[in-house]
Amino acid sequence: MTFLAIVLVFAVTTSTYSASIQQDLVRESTVEKVMKRGILKVGMSTFVPWAMKDKKGDLIGFEIDVATRLAEDMGVKVEFIPTKWSGIIPALLTGKFDVIIGGMGIRPDRNLKVNFSIPYDYTGMSILAHKELAAGFDSLEDFNHPDVSIAARIGTTAAAAAKKFMPRAKLRLFDDESQAVQEILNGRVHAVIASAPLPAFQAIKYPDRLFLPLDANFTKEPIGFAVKKSDVDTLNYFNNWIRVVEAEGWLKEREHYWFGTKDWQGLIK
Amino acid sequence: MRRKRGITTLDVAVIVLILTGLAYLVYRTTVVIHYHWNWSVIPQYMFRYDDERGRWVINLLMQGFITTIKLSLWTTLLAVILGTVMGFFRISTSLFKRLTARSYVELIRNVPPLVLIFIFYFFLSDQIMTALGVEDFILSLSERTQKILAFFMASPGQLSAFLSAVITLVLYEGAYMTEIIRAGIQSIEKGQWEASSASGLSWWQQMRFVILPQATRRILPPIAGQLISTIKDSAIVSVVSVQELTFQGLELMSATYLTFEVWITITVLYFILTFSCSLGIRRLELSLHIEGTSFKASW
Repeated sequence: MTFLAIVLVFAVTTSTYSASIQQDLVRESTVEKVMKRGILKVGMSTFVPWAMKDKKGDLIGFEIDVATRLAEDMGVKVEFIPTKWSGIIPALLTGKFDVIIGGMGIRPDRNLKVNFSIPYDYTGMSILAHKELAAGFDSLEDFNHPDVSIAARIGTTAAAAAKKFMPRAKLRLFDDESQAVQEILNGRVHAVIASAPLPAFQAIKYPDRLFLPLDANFTKEPIGFAVKKSDVDTLNYFNNWIRVVEAEGWLKEREHYWFGTKDWQGLIK
Repeated sequence: MRRKRGITTLDVAVIVLILTGLAYLVYRTTVVIHYHWNWSVIPQYMFRYDDERGRWVINLLMQGFITTIKLSLWTTLLAVILGTVMGFFRISTSLFKRLTARSYVELIRNVPPLVLIFIFYFFLSDQIMTALGVEDFILSLSERTQKILAFFMASPGQLSAFLSAVITLVLYEGAYMTEIIRAGIQSIEKGQWEASSASGLSWWQQMRFVILPQATRRILPPIAGQLISTIKDSAIVSVVSVQELTFQGLELMSATYLTFEVWITITVLYFILTFSCSLGIRRLELSLHIEGTSFKASW
Protein backbone atom coordinates (compact mmCIF):
# COMPACT_ATOMS: atom_id res chain seq x y z
CA MET A 1 0.00 0.00 0.00
CA THR A 2 2.76 2.43 0.99
CA PHE A 3 4.68 1.49 -2.11
CA LEU A 4 1.62 2.10 -4.23
CA ALA A 5 1.12 5.45 -2.54
CA ILE A 6 4.73 6.50 -3.28
CA VAL A 7 4.37 5.48 -6.91
CA LEU A 8 1.14 7.43 -7.10
CA VAL A 9 2.72 10.55 -5.60
CA PHE A 10 5.46 10.47 -8.20
CA ALA A 11 3.21 9.59 -11.07
CA VAL A 12 0.32 11.95 -10.65
CA THR A 13 -0.36 15.33 -9.14
CA THR A 14 -1.12 15.78 -5.47
CA SER A 15 -4.76 16.56 -6.05
CA THR A 16 -5.57 13.26 -7.73
CA TYR A 17 -3.63 11.48 -4.99
CA SER A 18 -5.79 12.91 -2.23
CA ALA A 19 -8.86 12.14 -4.29
CA SER A 20 -7.87 8.50 -4.46
CA ILE A 21 -7.33 8.35 -0.70
CA GLN A 22 -10.79 9.71 -0.25
CA GLN A 23 -12.19 7.06 -2.57
CA ASP A 24 -10.36 4.36 -0.62
CA LEU A 25 -11.76 5.67 2.64
CA VAL A 26 -15.27 5.63 1.27
CA ARG A 27 -14.84 2.17 -0.19
CA GLU A 28 -13.49 0.81 3.07
CA SER A 29 -16.10 2.37 5.33
CA THR A 30 -18.36 -0.08 7.14
CA VAL A 31 -21.51 1.57 5.82
CA GLU A 32 -20.38 1.06 2.21
CA LYS A 33 -19.50 -2.57 2.89
CA VAL A 34 -22.88 -3.16 4.51
CA MET A 35 -24.71 -1.63 1.56
CA LYS A 36 -22.72 -3.76 -0.85
CA ARG A 37 -23.32 -6.93 1.13
CA GLY A 38 -26.98 -6.13 1.78
CA ILE A 39 -26.66 -7.37 5.34
CA LEU A 40 -25.90 -5.46 8.54
CA LYS A 41 -24.10 -7.74 10.97
CA VAL A 42 -24.76 -6.75 14.55
CA GLY A 43 -22.83 -8.07 17.53
CA MET A 44 -24.84 -8.42 20.73
CA SER A 45 -25.09 -10.41 23.92
CA THR A 46 -28.05 -11.50 25.99
CA PHE A 47 -28.98 -8.87 28.59
CA VAL A 48 -32.58 -8.84 29.80
CA PRO A 49 -34.43 -6.76 28.53
CA TRP A 50 -31.93 -5.32 26.05
CA ALA A 51 -31.64 -8.50 24.01
CA MET A 52 -32.94 -12.01 24.69
CA LYS A 53 -34.50 -14.97 22.95
CA ASP A 54 -38.26 -15.38 23.13
CA LYS A 55 -40.33 -18.56 23.21
CA LYS A 56 -40.04 -18.97 19.45
CA GLY A 57 -36.27 -18.70 19.57
CA ASP A 58 -36.34 -15.25 17.96
CA LEU A 59 -34.38 -12.36 19.40
CA ILE A 60 -36.36 -9.61 21.06
CA GLY A 61 -35.47 -6.58 23.18
CA PHE A 62 -34.66 -2.90 23.07
CA GLU A 63 -31.37 -3.34 21.20
CA ILE A 64 -32.99 -5.72 18.75
CA ASP A 65 -35.64 -3.10 17.94
CA VAL A 66 -32.97 -0.43 17.48
CA ALA A 67 -30.78 -2.58 15.22
CA THR A 68 -33.74 -3.86 13.18
CA ARG A 69 -34.98 -0.32 12.58
CA LEU A 70 -31.45 0.82 11.69
CA ALA A 71 -31.10 -1.91 9.07
CA GLU A 72 -34.59 -1.17 7.75
CA ASP A 73 -33.69 2.50 7.30
CA MET A 74 -30.49 1.50 5.50
CA GLY A 75 -32.52 -0.81 3.25
CA VAL A 76 -30.55 -3.92 4.21
CA LYS A 77 -31.24 -7.12 6.10
CA VAL A 78 -30.14 -7.44 9.71
CA GLU A 79 -28.22 -10.38 11.08
CA PHE A 80 -27.54 -10.78 14.79
CA ILE A 81 -24.41 -12.47 15.99
CA PRO A 82 -24.82 -13.47 19.63
CA THR A 83 -21.39 -13.18 21.20
CA LYS A 84 -20.06 -13.65 24.70
CA TRP A 85 -19.74 -10.27 26.35
CA SER A 86 -16.15 -10.83 27.49
CA GLY A 87 -15.01 -11.33 23.88
CA ILE A 88 -17.26 -8.85 22.11
CA ILE A 89 -14.69 -6.08 21.50
CA PRO A 90 -12.01 -8.43 20.07
CA ALA A 91 -14.73 -9.96 17.87
CA LEU A 92 -15.63 -6.49 16.52
CA LEU A 93 -11.98 -5.68 15.87
CA THR A 94 -11.40 -8.97 14.03
CA GLY A 95 -14.39 -8.32 11.80
CA LYS A 96 -16.93 -10.87 13.03
CA PHE A 97 -19.61 -8.17 12.70
CA ASP A 98 -19.98 -4.50 11.66
CA VAL A 99 -21.22 -2.86 14.83
CA ILE A 100 -21.95 -3.62 18.47
CA ILE A 101 -25.50 -2.65 19.38
CA GLY A 102 -25.65 -4.29 22.74
CA GLY A 103 -26.20 -1.75 25.47
CA MET A 104 -22.51 -0.97 25.56
CA GLY A 105 -21.72 1.85 27.98
CA ILE A 106 -19.44 4.54 26.58
CA ARG A 107 -16.37 4.40 28.80
CA PRO A 108 -13.07 6.23 28.20
CA ASP A 109 -10.96 3.07 28.43
CA ARG A 110 -13.19 1.25 25.92
CA ASN A 111 -13.14 4.30 23.69
CA LEU A 112 -9.37 3.88 23.31
CA LYS A 113 -10.03 0.61 21.48
CA VAL A 114 -13.24 1.37 19.57
CA ASN A 115 -15.18 4.40 18.39
CA PHE A 116 -18.61 5.16 19.82
CA SER A 117 -21.62 6.84 18.28
CA ILE A 118 -23.46 9.55 20.21
CA PRO A 119 -25.55 8.01 23.04
CA TYR A 120 -28.94 6.61 22.02
CA ASP A 121 -29.87 5.67 25.56
CA TYR A 122 -28.75 6.11 29.15
CA THR A 123 -28.56 3.48 31.80
CA GLY A 124 -27.44 3.38 35.38
CA MET A 125 -26.12 0.90 37.88
CA SER A 126 -28.37 -0.36 40.58
CA ILE A 127 -27.78 -2.66 43.56
CA LEU A 128 -29.75 -5.80 44.34
CA ALA A 129 -29.18 -6.97 47.91
CA HIS A 130 -29.92 -10.09 49.94
CA LYS A 131 -32.55 -9.46 52.64
CA GLU A 132 -30.82 -11.35 55.46
CA LEU A 133 -27.14 -10.93 54.59
CA ALA A 134 -27.42 -7.23 53.78
CA ALA A 135 -30.15 -6.39 56.32
CA GLY A 136 -30.14 -2.69 57.17
CA PHE A 137 -27.72 -1.69 54.38
CA ASP A 138 -28.90 1.52 52.76
CA SER A 139 -25.86 3.31 51.35
CA LEU A 140 -22.93 2.50 49.08
CA GLU A 141 -20.61 2.82 52.10
CA ASP A 142 -22.40 -0.08 53.83
CA PHE A 143 -21.33 -2.36 51.02
CA ASN A 144 -17.73 -1.09 50.95
CA HIS A 145 -16.49 -3.49 53.59
CA PRO A 146 -14.04 -6.43 53.39
CA ASP A 147 -16.67 -8.85 54.75
CA VAL A 148 -19.10 -8.04 51.96
CA SER A 149 -19.03 -9.94 48.67
CA ILE A 150 -20.53 -8.53 45.52
CA ALA A 151 -21.33 -10.28 42.25
CA ALA A 152 -21.34 -8.72 38.77
CA ARG A 153 -21.05 -9.71 35.13
CA ILE A 154 -17.48 -9.90 33.85
CA GLY A 155 -16.28 -7.07 31.59
CA THR A 156 -19.34 -4.88 32.19
CA THR A 157 -19.54 -1.35 33.50
CA ALA A 158 -21.24 -2.94 36.52
CA ALA A 159 -17.97 -4.68 37.40
CA ALA A 160 -16.11 -1.40 36.92
CA ALA A 161 -18.61 0.44 39.12
CA ALA A 162 -18.24 -2.16 41.85
CA LYS A 163 -14.46 -1.69 41.83
CA LYS A 164 -14.80 2.06 41.90
CA PHE A 165 -17.51 2.49 44.53
CA MET A 166 -16.81 -0.53 46.73
CA PRO A 167 -13.06 -1.09 46.42
CA ARG A 168 -12.85 -2.86 49.78
CA ALA A 169 -15.59 -5.39 49.12
CA LYS A 170 -14.81 -8.80 47.59
CA LEU A 171 -15.83 -8.83 43.94
CA ARG A 172 -16.97 -12.04 42.27
CA LEU A 173 -17.35 -12.02 38.50
CA PHE A 174 -19.65 -14.19 36.39
CA ASP A 175 -20.22 -14.77 32.70
CA ASP A 176 -23.74 -13.42 32.79
CA GLU A 177 -26.28 -11.88 35.12
CA SER A 178 -28.34 -15.03 35.59
CA GLN A 179 -25.37 -16.69 37.29
CA ALA A 180 -24.82 -13.62 39.49
CA VAL A 181 -28.50 -13.62 40.45
CA GLN A 182 -28.35 -17.35 41.20
CA GLU A 183 -25.39 -16.64 43.48
CA ILE A 184 -27.33 -14.08 45.53
CA LEU A 185 -30.40 -16.34 45.66
CA ASN A 186 -28.13 -19.08 47.02
CA GLY A 187 -27.02 -16.61 49.68
CA ARG A 188 -23.35 -16.65 48.77
CA VAL A 189 -23.02 -12.93 48.01
CA HIS A 190 -24.48 -9.88 49.74
CA ALA A 191 -25.33 -7.97 46.60
CA VAL A 192 -25.40 -7.99 42.81
CA ILE A 193 -24.58 -4.91 40.79
CA ALA A 194 -26.17 -4.65 37.36
CA SER A 195 -27.67 -2.14 34.96
CA ALA A 196 -31.19 -1.00 35.79
CA PRO A 197 -33.89 -2.30 35.48
CA LEU A 198 -32.60 -5.83 36.14
CA PRO A 199 -32.18 -5.43 39.93
CA ALA A 200 -35.69 -3.97 40.28
CA PHE A 201 -37.23 -6.82 38.26
CA GLN A 202 -35.47 -9.44 40.37
CA ALA A 203 -36.47 -7.71 43.62
CA ILE A 204 -40.11 -7.86 42.49
CA LYS A 205 -39.72 -11.51 41.51
CA TYR A 206 -38.22 -12.63 44.84
CA PRO A 207 -39.68 -10.17 47.38
CA ASP A 208 -39.02 -12.54 50.29
CA ARG A 209 -35.28 -12.72 49.69
CA LEU A 210 -34.09 -9.71 47.68
CA PHE A 211 -34.50 -5.96 48.02
CA LEU A 212 -33.21 -2.69 46.58
CA PRO A 213 -31.11 -0.92 49.22
CA LEU A 214 -30.80 2.35 47.25
CA ASP A 215 -33.72 4.45 46.03
CA ALA A 216 -32.12 5.34 42.72
CA ASN A 217 -29.35 4.26 40.36
CA PHE A 218 -25.94 5.28 41.63
CA THR A 219 -24.38 5.95 38.22
CA LYS A 220 -25.56 7.33 34.91
CA GLU A 221 -23.98 5.93 31.77
CA PRO A 222 -24.39 6.84 28.14
CA ILE A 223 -24.96 3.90 25.75
CA GLY A 224 -23.66 4.00 22.19
CA PHE A 225 -23.01 1.88 19.09
CA ALA A 226 -19.41 0.67 18.95
CA VAL A 227 -17.60 0.52 15.61
CA LYS A 228 -13.99 0.01 14.50
CA LYS A 229 -11.73 3.02 14.89
CA SER A 230 -11.28 5.79 12.32
CA ASP A 231 -14.42 5.21 10.31
CA VAL A 232 -15.79 8.73 9.99
CA ASP A 233 -18.30 7.82 7.32
CA THR A 234 -19.98 5.16 9.46
CA LEU A 235 -19.91 7.23 12.64
CA ASN A 236 -21.50 10.15 10.86
CA TYR A 237 -24.28 7.93 9.53
CA PHE A 238 -25.01 6.32 12.91
CA ASN A 239 -24.89 9.63 14.79
CA ASN A 240 -27.37 11.25 12.47
CA TRP A 241 -29.60 8.18 12.42
CA ILE A 242 -29.75 8.38 16.22
CA ARG A 243 -30.58 12.11 16.05
CA VAL A 244 -33.40 11.41 13.61
CA VAL A 245 -35.08 8.58 15.53
CA GLU A 246 -34.65 10.49 18.77
CA ALA A 247 -36.34 13.55 17.30
CA GLU A 248 -39.18 11.32 16.11
CA GLY A 249 -39.75 10.18 19.68
CA TRP A 250 -39.30 6.57 18.53
CA LEU A 251 -36.38 5.85 20.88
CA LYS A 252 -38.31 7.13 23.92
CA GLU A 253 -41.34 5.06 22.99
CA ARG A 254 -39.27 1.83 22.59
CA GLU A 255 -37.36 2.56 25.78
CA HIS A 256 -40.61 2.95 27.66
CA TYR A 257 -41.93 -0.34 26.30
CA TRP A 258 -38.87 -2.37 27.32
CA PHE A 259 -37.81 -0.61 30.51
CA GLY A 260 -40.97 1.06 31.76
CA THR A 261 -43.48 -1.77 31.26
CA LYS A 262 -43.47 -5.51 31.70
CA ASP A 263 -45.78 -6.18 28.74
CA TRP A 264 -43.06 -8.23 27.05
CA GLN A 265 -42.70 -10.73 29.91
CA GLY A 266 -45.26 -13.02 28.34
CA LEU A 267 -43.04 -13.38 25.29
CA ILE A 268 -40.20 -15.14 27.05
CA LYS A 269 -41.82 -17.57 29.46
CA MET B 1 -17.19 -68.08 36.88
CA ARG B 2 -20.70 -67.88 38.34
CA ARG B 3 -22.34 -64.58 39.00
CA LYS B 4 -23.83 -63.98 42.42
CA ARG B 5 -27.53 -63.25 42.39
CA GLY B 6 -29.74 -61.55 44.95
CA ILE B 7 -29.25 -58.38 46.94
CA THR B 8 -26.65 -58.20 49.67
CA THR B 9 -26.64 -55.91 52.71
CA LEU B 10 -23.92 -53.82 51.06
CA ASP B 11 -26.12 -53.19 48.00
CA VAL B 12 -28.94 -51.97 50.23
CA ALA B 13 -26.55 -49.71 52.15
CA VAL B 14 -25.22 -48.17 48.92
CA ILE B 15 -28.71 -47.57 47.54
CA VAL B 16 -29.87 -45.97 50.78
CA LEU B 17 -26.77 -43.75 50.80
CA ILE B 18 -27.34 -42.58 47.22
CA LEU B 19 -31.04 -41.88 47.84
CA THR B 20 -30.22 -39.92 51.01
CA GLY B 21 -27.71 -37.87 49.06
CA LEU B 22 -30.28 -37.07 46.37
CA ALA B 23 -32.94 -36.25 48.94
CA TYR B 24 -30.51 -33.91 50.70
CA LEU B 25 -29.79 -32.09 47.40
CA VAL B 26 -33.50 -31.66 46.73
CA TYR B 27 -34.01 -30.46 50.31
CA ARG B 28 -31.14 -27.96 50.00
CA THR B 29 -32.44 -26.44 46.75
CA THR B 30 -36.10 -26.25 47.67
CA VAL B 31 -35.99 -25.48 51.39
CA VAL B 32 -32.64 -23.86 52.15
CA ILE B 33 -32.07 -21.74 49.03
CA HIS B 34 -35.79 -21.60 48.12
CA TYR B 35 -35.30 -22.49 44.48
CA HIS B 36 -38.51 -22.00 42.52
CA TRP B 37 -38.57 -25.03 40.25
CA ASN B 38 -40.28 -24.24 36.99
CA TRP B 39 -40.04 -27.21 34.66
CA SER B 40 -43.15 -26.35 32.68
CA VAL B 41 -41.39 -23.83 30.42
CA ILE B 42 -38.52 -26.11 29.37
CA PRO B 43 -40.33 -28.39 26.83
CA GLN B 44 -41.36 -25.43 24.65
CA TYR B 45 -37.70 -24.59 24.17
CA MET B 46 -37.18 -28.01 22.62
CA PHE B 47 -40.27 -28.26 20.41
CA ARG B 48 -42.96 -25.68 19.83
CA TYR B 49 -46.08 -25.48 17.73
CA ASP B 50 -45.69 -22.95 14.95
CA ASP B 51 -49.05 -21.24 14.41
CA GLU B 52 -48.00 -19.69 11.11
CA ARG B 53 -46.88 -22.92 9.52
CA GLY B 54 -49.37 -25.08 11.40
CA ARG B 55 -46.91 -27.75 12.47
CA TRP B 56 -44.43 -28.60 15.20
CA VAL B 57 -40.95 -27.18 14.80
CA ILE B 58 -37.75 -27.51 16.76
CA ASN B 59 -36.72 -24.71 19.08
CA LEU B 60 -33.50 -23.40 20.66
CA LEU B 61 -32.35 -26.44 22.60
CA MET B 62 -33.02 -28.92 19.82
CA GLN B 63 -31.37 -26.61 17.27
CA GLY B 64 -28.32 -26.59 19.52
CA PHE B 65 -28.54 -30.36 19.91
CA ILE B 66 -28.54 -30.82 16.13
CA THR B 67 -25.68 -28.34 15.68
CA THR B 68 -23.67 -30.35 18.22
CA ILE B 69 -24.30 -33.53 16.22
CA LYS B 70 -23.33 -31.89 12.92
CA LEU B 71 -20.26 -30.36 14.51
CA SER B 72 -19.16 -33.72 15.93
CA LEU B 73 -19.77 -35.70 12.76
CA TRP B 74 -17.88 -33.27 10.51
CA THR B 75 -15.07 -33.05 13.02
CA THR B 76 -14.72 -36.83 13.31
CA LEU B 77 -14.85 -37.34 9.57
CA LEU B 78 -12.19 -34.72 8.80
CA ALA B 79 -10.10 -35.63 11.83
CA VAL B 80 -9.93 -39.24 10.58
CA ILE B 81 -8.58 -37.99 7.25
CA LEU B 82 -6.06 -35.69 8.92
CA GLY B 83 -5.19 -38.43 11.43
CA THR B 84 -4.60 -40.96 8.64
CA VAL B 85 -2.21 -38.64 6.81
CA MET B 86 -0.38 -37.74 10.01
CA GLY B 87 -0.48 -41.34 11.23
CA PHE B 88 1.30 -42.46 8.05
CA PHE B 89 3.78 -39.61 8.52
CA ARG B 90 4.46 -40.83 12.06
CA ILE B 91 5.65 -44.23 10.80
CA SER B 92 7.26 -42.91 7.63
CA THR B 93 10.91 -43.60 6.86
CA SER B 94 11.44 -39.92 6.03
CA LEU B 95 12.82 -37.98 8.99
CA PHE B 96 11.12 -34.79 7.80
CA LYS B 97 7.66 -36.40 7.74
CA ARG B 98 8.22 -37.98 11.15
CA LEU B 99 9.30 -34.64 12.58
CA THR B 100 6.30 -32.84 11.08
CA ALA B 101 3.80 -35.33 12.45
CA ARG B 102 5.50 -35.55 15.84
CA SER B 103 5.62 -31.73 16.21
CA TYR B 104 1.96 -31.48 15.29
CA VAL B 105 0.86 -34.14 17.77
CA GLU B 106 2.99 -32.85 20.62
CA LEU B 107 2.04 -29.22 20.02
CA ILE B 108 -1.69 -29.92 20.00
CA ARG B 109 -1.69 -32.37 22.87
CA ASN B 110 0.25 -30.00 25.13
CA VAL B 111 -1.94 -26.93 24.66
CA PRO B 112 -5.31 -26.61 26.43
CA PRO B 113 -8.11 -26.86 23.83
CA LEU B 114 -9.67 -23.65 25.15
CA VAL B 115 -6.49 -21.69 24.37
CA LEU B 116 -6.35 -23.29 20.94
CA ILE B 117 -9.93 -22.21 20.26
CA PHE B 118 -9.23 -18.60 21.18
CA ILE B 119 -6.05 -18.42 19.10
CA PHE B 120 -7.84 -19.92 16.18
CA TYR B 121 -11.01 -17.87 16.40
CA PHE B 122 -9.52 -14.45 16.98
CA PHE B 123 -6.33 -14.82 15.01
CA LEU B 124 -6.31 -17.51 12.36
CA SER B 125 -9.92 -17.96 11.33
CA ASP B 126 -10.35 -14.35 10.32
CA GLN B 127 -7.24 -14.44 8.11
CA ILE B 128 -8.12 -17.81 6.58
CA MET B 129 -11.81 -17.10 6.02
CA THR B 130 -11.06 -13.73 4.41
CA ALA B 131 -8.28 -15.17 2.27
CA LEU B 132 -10.52 -17.99 1.05
CA GLY B 133 -13.35 -15.55 0.46
CA VAL B 134 -15.76 -17.86 2.27
CA GLU B 135 -18.24 -15.13 3.05
CA ASP B 136 -18.57 -13.75 -0.47
CA PHE B 137 -18.76 -17.28 -1.79
CA ILE B 138 -21.69 -18.15 0.48
CA LEU B 139 -23.56 -14.99 -0.47
CA SER B 140 -23.06 -15.70 -4.16
CA LEU B 141 -24.69 -19.13 -3.87
CA SER B 142 -28.27 -19.70 -4.97
CA GLU B 143 -30.98 -19.94 -2.36
CA ARG B 144 -31.29 -23.67 -2.89
CA THR B 145 -27.59 -24.36 -2.42
CA GLN B 146 -27.68 -22.21 0.71
CA LYS B 147 -30.53 -24.35 2.03
CA ILE B 148 -28.63 -27.56 1.33
CA LEU B 149 -25.57 -26.09 3.03
CA ALA B 150 -27.73 -25.07 5.98
CA PHE B 151 -29.02 -28.63 6.28
CA PHE B 152 -25.59 -30.26 6.34
CA MET B 153 -23.64 -27.52 8.10
CA ALA B 154 -25.06 -24.19 9.26
CA SER B 155 -27.16 -21.31 7.98
CA PRO B 156 -25.24 -18.77 5.88
CA GLY B 157 -24.90 -16.30 8.74
CA GLN B 158 -23.34 -18.84 11.05
CA LEU B 159 -21.36 -20.80 8.50
CA SER B 160 -18.13 -18.88 8.94
CA ALA B 161 -18.18 -19.43 12.71
CA PHE B 162 -19.22 -23.06 12.22
CA LEU B 163 -16.34 -23.70 9.83
CA SER B 164 -13.74 -22.15 12.10
CA ALA B 165 -15.09 -24.24 14.96
CA VAL B 166 -14.87 -27.39 12.83
CA ILE B 167 -11.31 -26.57 11.73
CA THR B 168 -10.18 -25.99 15.32
CA LEU B 169 -11.81 -29.17 16.56
CA VAL B 170 -10.37 -31.13 13.63
CA LEU B 171 -6.87 -29.90 14.46
CA TYR B 172 -7.41 -30.83 18.08
CA GLU B 173 -9.03 -34.24 17.60
CA GLY B 174 -6.73 -34.98 14.64
CA ALA B 175 -3.76 -35.27 17.00
CA TYR B 176 -5.51 -38.05 18.93
CA MET B 177 -6.65 -39.74 15.70
CA THR B 178 -3.02 -39.68 14.51
CA GLU B 179 -1.94 -41.62 17.57
CA ILE B 180 -4.84 -44.08 17.27
CA ILE B 181 -3.99 -44.81 13.64
CA ARG B 182 -0.24 -44.99 14.28
CA ALA B 183 -0.78 -47.37 17.20
CA GLY B 184 -3.19 -49.48 15.12
CA ILE B 185 -0.69 -49.94 12.32
CA GLN B 186 2.24 -50.53 14.66
CA SER B 187 0.27 -53.10 16.64
CA ILE B 188 0.36 -55.51 13.70
CA GLU B 189 2.98 -58.16 14.40
CA LYS B 190 6.35 -57.82 12.70
CA GLY B 191 5.90 -61.29 11.21
CA GLN B 192 3.07 -60.04 9.02
CA TRP B 193 5.37 -57.45 7.47
CA GLU B 194 8.16 -59.95 7.01
CA ALA B 195 5.90 -62.62 5.52
CA SER B 196 4.21 -60.24 3.09
CA SER B 197 7.57 -58.77 2.14
CA ALA B 198 8.90 -62.27 1.50
CA SER B 199 5.88 -62.91 -0.77
CA GLY B 200 7.20 -60.14 -2.98
CA LEU B 201 4.61 -57.48 -2.16
CA SER B 202 5.63 -53.83 -2.42
CA TRP B 203 5.29 -51.55 0.61
CA TRP B 204 1.98 -50.20 -0.64
CA GLN B 205 0.66 -53.70 -1.40
CA GLN B 206 1.68 -54.86 2.07
CA MET B 207 -0.27 -51.98 3.55
CA ARG B 208 -3.25 -52.40 1.29
CA PHE B 209 -3.71 -56.19 1.47
CA VAL B 210 -2.12 -57.31 4.72
CA ILE B 211 -1.58 -54.61 7.33
CA LEU B 212 -4.52 -52.23 6.93
CA PRO B 213 -7.30 -54.86 6.85
CA GLN B 214 -6.08 -56.12 10.20
CA ALA B 215 -5.25 -52.69 11.62
CA THR B 216 -8.65 -51.25 10.69
CA ARG B 217 -10.37 -53.76 12.92
CA ARG B 218 -8.27 -52.57 15.84
CA ILE B 219 -8.56 -48.88 14.92
CA LEU B 220 -12.33 -48.62 14.44
CA PRO B 221 -13.46 -48.99 18.07
CA PRO B 222 -11.09 -46.30 19.45
CA ILE B 223 -12.07 -43.96 16.58
CA ALA B 224 -15.71 -44.42 17.45
CA GLY B 225 -14.75 -43.78 21.07
CA GLN B 226 -13.06 -40.58 19.99
CA LEU B 227 -16.41 -39.52 18.49
CA ILE B 228 -17.81 -39.47 22.02
CA SER B 229 -14.88 -37.33 23.18
CA THR B 230 -15.53 -35.01 20.25
CA ILE B 231 -19.17 -34.59 21.23
CA LYS B 232 -18.09 -33.63 24.72
CA ASP B 233 -15.19 -31.43 23.59
CA SER B 234 -17.45 -29.59 21.15
CA ALA B 235 -19.00 -27.79 24.14
CA ILE B 236 -15.93 -25.57 24.36
CA VAL B 237 -16.67 -23.86 21.05
CA SER B 238 -19.58 -22.17 22.84
CA VAL B 239 -16.98 -19.62 24.00
CA VAL B 240 -16.59 -18.38 20.45
CA SER B 241 -20.36 -18.14 20.02
CA VAL B 242 -20.97 -21.19 17.85
CA GLN B 243 -24.61 -21.91 18.52
CA GLU B 244 -24.34 -25.49 19.74
CA LEU B 245 -26.07 -27.07 22.72
CA THR B 246 -24.02 -25.47 25.50
CA PHE B 247 -24.23 -22.02 23.92
CA GLN B 248 -28.00 -22.26 23.51
CA GLY B 249 -28.21 -23.39 27.13
CA LEU B 250 -26.21 -20.35 28.27
CA GLU B 251 -28.38 -18.05 26.19
CA LEU B 252 -31.56 -19.57 27.51
CA MET B 253 -30.29 -19.29 31.06
CA SER B 254 -29.48 -15.59 30.60
CA ALA B 255 -32.97 -14.98 29.26
CA THR B 256 -35.05 -17.06 31.67
CA TYR B 257 -32.84 -17.34 34.80
CA LEU B 258 -33.86 -21.00 35.11
CA THR B 259 -30.29 -22.04 35.97
CA PHE B 260 -30.91 -25.52 37.36
CA GLU B 261 -33.63 -26.58 34.94
CA VAL B 262 -31.61 -25.53 31.90
CA TRP B 263 -28.42 -27.27 33.00
CA ILE B 264 -30.17 -30.45 34.02
CA THR B 265 -31.85 -30.54 30.60
CA ILE B 266 -28.54 -29.94 28.83
CA THR B 267 -26.90 -32.72 30.86
CA VAL B 268 -29.65 -35.15 29.92
CA LEU B 269 -29.42 -34.23 26.23
CA TYR B 270 -25.63 -34.74 26.16
CA PHE B 271 -26.02 -38.00 28.03
CA ILE B 272 -28.62 -39.34 25.60
CA LEU B 273 -26.31 -38.49 22.72
CA THR B 274 -23.09 -39.94 24.12
CA PHE B 275 -24.69 -42.96 25.76
CA SER B 276 -26.45 -44.04 22.57
CA CYS B 277 -23.10 -43.65 20.79
CA SER B 278 -21.36 -45.83 23.32
CA LEU B 279 -24.06 -48.51 22.99
CA GLY B 280 -23.52 -48.37 19.24
CA ILE B 281 -19.79 -48.78 19.71
CA ARG B 282 -20.31 -51.85 21.88
CA ARG B 283 -22.32 -53.37 19.06
CA LEU B 284 -19.58 -52.47 16.61
CA GLU B 285 -16.89 -54.01 18.80
CA LEU B 286 -18.88 -57.21 19.22
CA SER B 287 -19.57 -57.57 15.50
CA LEU B 288 -15.90 -56.89 14.66
CA HIS B 289 -14.89 -59.46 17.22
CA ILE B 290 -17.18 -62.12 15.74
CA GLU B 291 -16.10 -61.23 12.23
CA GLY B 292 -12.50 -61.50 13.36
CA THR B 293 -12.94 -65.01 14.73
CA SER B 294 -14.72 -66.29 11.64
CA PHE B 295 -12.02 -64.65 9.54
CA LYS B 296 -9.33 -66.58 11.38
CA ALA B 297 -11.37 -69.78 11.32
CA SER B 298 -11.63 -69.64 7.56
CA TRP B 299 -7.84 -69.85 7.24
